[in-house]
Amino acid sequence: MTNVPPSLRNAIKRDLRPTRPLKPPAVRALALLPLSVAIVIAVPALHFFRPDMGIIGVVRAWGFSAGQAIAGLVIVAAALRESIPGRSLSRSTLTWTLAGGLLIPFVLLLLTTSSFDIGPAPGDGWVEGAACFRISALAAVPALLVAAFLAARAYPLRPLVAGALYGLGCGLVADAGLRLYCDYSAPLHVLFAHGGAVVSVTLAGALMAVVASRRSP
Amino acid sequence: MAPEAKKDLDTAERELCALMQRYLAGELEAFDGIYGALAGRVRGYLLSQCRDAARADDLLQETFLQLHRSRRTYEPGRPVTPWVFAIARHVYLMHRRSTGRRLRFEDALAADRSGDRARDDERTIVHADQIEHALRDVPADQRDALLLHHVEGWSFVEIAGRLGIRVNAAKTRAFRGVRKMREQLRKPPTTR
Repeated sequence: MTNVPPSLRNAIKRDLRPTRPLKPPAVRALALLPLSVAIVIAVPALHFFRPDMGIIGVVRAWGFSAGQAIAGLVIVAAALRESIPGRSLSRSTLTWTLAGGLLIPFVLLLLTTSSFDIGPAPGDGWVEGAACFRISALAAVPALLVAAFLAARAYPLRPLVAGALYGLGCGLVADAGLRLYCDYSAPLHVLFAHGGAVVSVTLAGALMAVVASRRSP
Repeated sequence: MAPEAKKDLDTAERELCALMQRYLAGELEAFDGIYGALAGRVRGYLLSQCRDAARADDLLQETFLQLHRSRRTYEPGRPVTPWVFAIARHVYLMHRRSTGRRLRFEDALAADRSGDRARDDERTIVHADQIEHALRDVPADQRDALLLHHVEGWSFVEIAGRLGIRVNAAKTRAFRGVRKMREQLRKPPTTR
């Protein structure tokens, strides 16, 4: 049996105190549940609900948004798992998670509407697109901060990956609220304003995680 | 894997789990046990990666320090070995990255030096004198870390143990010391 070098033993001894292990990633991700519910409700409540709520029905409006928000939380849980040494996601799982997560809003759009010609009035495309992008990106910020804190408490060995995952999860939660507010189905609007916001929050998460990892000891 | 060998492995892993629980509860002896059980294998892994015994020893200490800092990320009941090896791999990769940076810096320095070869001995003596002056202006705590690391060749773990500070604090002090010294050397002689 190898003996501990005295310098290392002294360093450990100086800092040793009872430590409570982190809860499992799925349990920690649940800390975001109340905030996610608040975000999904707040986005349309602070502006207005999409005009065709009655037409698409409860399942395709609230049900799909709830499903997307839950998927977002599952991806945040995956990010928290990724932040634990020895529990990194495999390359294929990671690829499927990122690709699947990014596709969710578009799949739900396909299931919600049958015509893709509802969009901003001619000339208003940029303004309305920017408004949707801003609302979605800003709504994701509180969840992103909490998720970044939760991940930083662990020890992400691949901060870029962990950050991209929790960014994507938070982007999906915010977009789940946005889809209760915006009824546009024009492909360009959905791709750049809604999808662009999710991608931006994903990139912001990756950046935050990298910065946080460089600041931690 | 043969059933007997698998059973032994499971028993060893269960013992490690129990040690880890005690370590999380704050028992230093449990840390000794974990180190005793895993240090040899982790060192072997690090040695296979960096092929330098002294460096592998340094990285082994850094791995266990990092393990200590991130001990809360251990999930009770899960195998300890993959957790420790993931940390060791990360420590090695971080080391490789910083070594790459340092090598690039040293290459640049060597290129500078080769351009200065024409300078005569007198100039070199003046340089030594300047260095001594510059060192005097470096705060004592930074100077100690700087000299121990860059002149005596101590590892940061050893410096931390000697000075009773954290490893990162030792690194920071040495880095700031070098920076301060560099600033002093850049100043014209009259302003020193």
